[in-house]
Amino acid sequence: MTDALSPLQTLWLCETVRLREEHTGLLEDSEACRIARATQGSLTERLQVRGLFLAKRDGLITALEHWLQGAKLALWLFIFSAIISGVVLAKTALSGTPLAINIFWALAGLIGLNLVSLLAWCFSMLFSKHTSSPLSHAWLWLSNKLARDAKAAQLAPALLVLLQRHNLLRWGLGRVLHGWWLITLCTACLTLIALLATRRYGFVWESTIVASDSFVMLVSSLGSPAAWLGFAVPDSELIQRSGLHALEDEHARHIWASWLLGMLLIYGIVPRLLCSLLCEWRWRYGVKRLRLNADDPVWQMFQQRVQPSSERLGVVDVAPATLPVSTAGAQLSGHAAVLLGIELDDSIDWPPQLPAQVVDAGIIDTREQRRSMLEQLSANPPARLLIACNPQRSADRGTLHLIAELSRTAAHTQIWLLPTEAADERLNNWQEQLDILKLPHHRAAPWAWLEHGDE
Amino acid sequence: MNKSLAPLKLAVVGHTNVGKTSLLRTLTRDVGFGAISHRPSTTQHVEGARLSVDGEALIELYDTPGFEDAVALYEYIEQLPRSGERLDGPELIERFLSSSEARQRFEQEAKVLRQLLQSDAGFYVIDAREPVLAKYRDELAILAMCGKPLLPVLNFVNSSEQRESAWREVLARLGLHAVVRFDTITPPVDGEQRLYENLSLVLDSQRPRLQRLIDYNQAQVQVRRSAGYRLIAELLIDISACRRSVHPDRLEQAIQELHNDVRQREQRCVEALLKLYAFRKDDAHANALPLEEGRWGDDLFNPATMKQFGVKVGGGMAAGAATGVGIDLMTGGLSLGMATVVGAAVGGLTQTFRNYGDRLKGKWRGERELTVNDSTLRLLAIRQQRLLNALELRGHAAQEQIQMETPQEQHWRKGELAQPLITARAYSAWSSLNGRKPQQDTERTQAVESLASNLIQQHTTP
Repeated sequence: MTDALSPLQTLWLCETVRLREEHTGLLEDSEACRIARATQGSLTERLQVRGLFLAKRDGLITALEHWLQGAKLALWLFIFSAIISGVVLAKTALSGTPLAINIFWALAGLIGLNLVSLLAWCFSMLFSKHTSSPLSHAWLWLSNKLARDAKAAQLAPALLVLLQRHNLLRWGLGRVLHGWWLITLCTACLTLIALLATRRYGFVWESTIVASDSFVMLVSSLGSPAAWLGFAVPDSELIQRSGLHALEDEHARHIWASWLLGMLLIYGIVPRLLCSLLCEWRWRYGVKRLRLNADDPVWQMFQQRVQPSSERLGVVDVAPATLPVSTAGAQLSGHAAVLLGIELDDSIDWPPQLPAQVVDAGIIDTREQRRSMLEQLSANPPARLLIACNPQRSADRGTLHLIAELSRTAAHTQIWLLPTEAADERLNNWQEQLDILKLPHHRAAPWAWLEHGDE
Repeated sequence: MNKSLAPLKLAVVGHTNVGKTSLLRTLTRDVGFGAISHRPSTTQHVEGARLSVDGEALIELYDTPGFEDAVALYEYIEQLPRSGERLDGPELIERFLSSSEARQRFEQEAKVLRQLLQSDAGFYVIDAREPVLAKYRDELAILAMCGKPLLPVLNFVNSSEQRESAWREVLARLGLHAVVRFDTITPPVDGEQRLYENLSLVLDSQRPRLQRLIDYNQAQVQVRRSAGYRLIAELLIDISACRRSVHPDRLEQAIQELHNDVRQREQRCVEALLKLYAFRKDDAHANALPLEEGRWGDDLFNPATMKQFGVKVGGGMAAGAATGVGIDLMTGGLSLGMATVVGAAVGGLTQTFRNYGDRLKGKWRGERELTVNDSTLRLLAIRQQRLLNALELRGHAAQEQIQMETPQEQHWRKGELAQPLITARAYSAWSSLNGRKPQQDTERTQAVESLASNLIQQHTTP
């Protein structure tokens, strides 16, 4: 069944699913989206795949089948009703005394209602953005009823919304409307011919106030288009005479019957046929060009789901179980107290006021400074080494490794986390990392310890 | 696959804690990508993400661990060539990667370099608040050895402690002249565009592809915007059309129910908008939104909220319980005013008559009609538009900027309500708040669409 879906049906199902999601929230669609993404097609294709999958899962495709069956049944009922109406129309037009049928009543009975309905349709075409006639809606309603499927109830609104969005609704409903009238009028025409062939009718016209001249003019001008098709038009003398009494003469009856048929054809069947053809053409043209417009804002919600503009590719190089750690150490003995700054920028006033015995070893930042400092300290291990760090910088592995390496050159090492305004998270991280290295750290400079070795 | 069709591979590299993962999250609009924290070494693996346009993969971005031990690594690499041997940059890096230290002490750095070697170019993310320390210079020197084009991305440039000029000077000395400012927390509106444009300066052969991505992103802004305004239009029509008949005895309770339903309906719109812009309540960027925990903090029916948003509390509106609700006492809803009647006549006649029929019946029974009044609609419109604007700027707008008066808001405060909203007043069937599914007729669809386009117009031509 899925393969046999026409583009219209596919779009219709997608629209039904969308409307459902609009009202009751998004459906669980992870599988649908995965399948849609796997198609690697265009966005439109992917949206359709997702829509169809959800429609199939939720039984909408079966519902659509039922709906279509219902619609077909409704259509047959419509055709049947059109045929009955046609017969009734013709019979009523020729009812009354057969030998004195009022020609204008017959004409009005045959095409009057049709013309009113046609004018109303044309009027709504011109002045309203959306046309709907009770007749077409009756067909939709009947299709719903005949589908006998609860889910089918969701289908009809979706079809209307879909067709409306693609400007096809008026043509689609117009097809039904004009088709009905066309069948009715054709049946009426056939019935009329049958009646005229099997019974004898005489035609008269009557009026209290209209002058016979106007009558003559009316009949011949109305009849002239039919005359081009070979239908007879009564001449003025015949009309004048028919105004007095129904003519017995066979020729006059033929002419009036032919005129009546011509009128039905020209003012009934032909306009409806033209409208039918117009609607059919617009409909087919429209259906052929029917595409799911993925740029429509209504689809935006699903766009990222079926065609994500970014996808995670996952981890391509896994994290190690543990990161390399540095370990601090210490010399057994050393001389002097040394203050050393690591990676301090010029925003920090350096060196601070130092106690007398403390040696200022400056700031180390570059590779060369690091190397020479490490060599210098290894040659003359200090008894106490105070390393100043700016906690505004992040405690990265390189810096921690350097601190650990420096600590191994001195007998005792402590860290001074300068009292700069650092983010709490960074400061905490420094403290944690230094705790792991088992190095004492302070926010205020431990001058007493540095000078004398006691806290 | 053809080489030119293979996606462009970009490695995002830099020191630890400079916002590499944040940059990836912003570029992929994937707020759940990777992990972000203030601690160093948050990302210890290499993780990829693919950017596609129309289903075609254009770019693969790789998030890498932070470079942390550059000084020691540089020293190590320097002593790698055997005496008399001359190795160029990539050869040195290859030699390093095959050494055992690349699996031990410098394992994280090796991951970065390996990824950069496999990529077409790299984004070098810089925390512009940092001074240009020697370790950063060494880091850049090592990364430059890979022989791949590098585009420095200055992050945190909106911070007061930024040292952008110092960084630019150093980068220029290294021959890196194309530099992008891109604050990942508060990205500029055209930030992404400038990022890709600058990337095409260093990767000239990829210009068409990057241009395609830029165009796509710009088109997406429009698409998201119109989808967003459609959601807002749906909300406003839904609430404007809401009309409930209640018996006078139940009035108090019914007003409470109406309040609750309207609040919930607004929250649904907020959630849909957040989803549309791929936001999560706990997202870092969400702090910059005027929301608290993904909802509006101030109650919709609190007169103070109206005042705060500059909406005049309607003259006839009762204070207290009935705030924001219109109660039609006298006429059973027939006092809709000429504008509504004209608006209604445009729609279907049968529907209008059915509607009035129901109302007449209600009047017969002595019921009262509850509607949500104009002031509340105005407030809703202004609030949702502010949210949409904030979402579009993705947290770019700071709080004071969001409070800014826009002519668009002025219009909603003082001007006449849009015609579709006035029309909706006459169609209770359009509302989902009346206990029934809203009627999906063409008139409703059209009202929503025309209101949405109205809102977009106001947005683009303030």
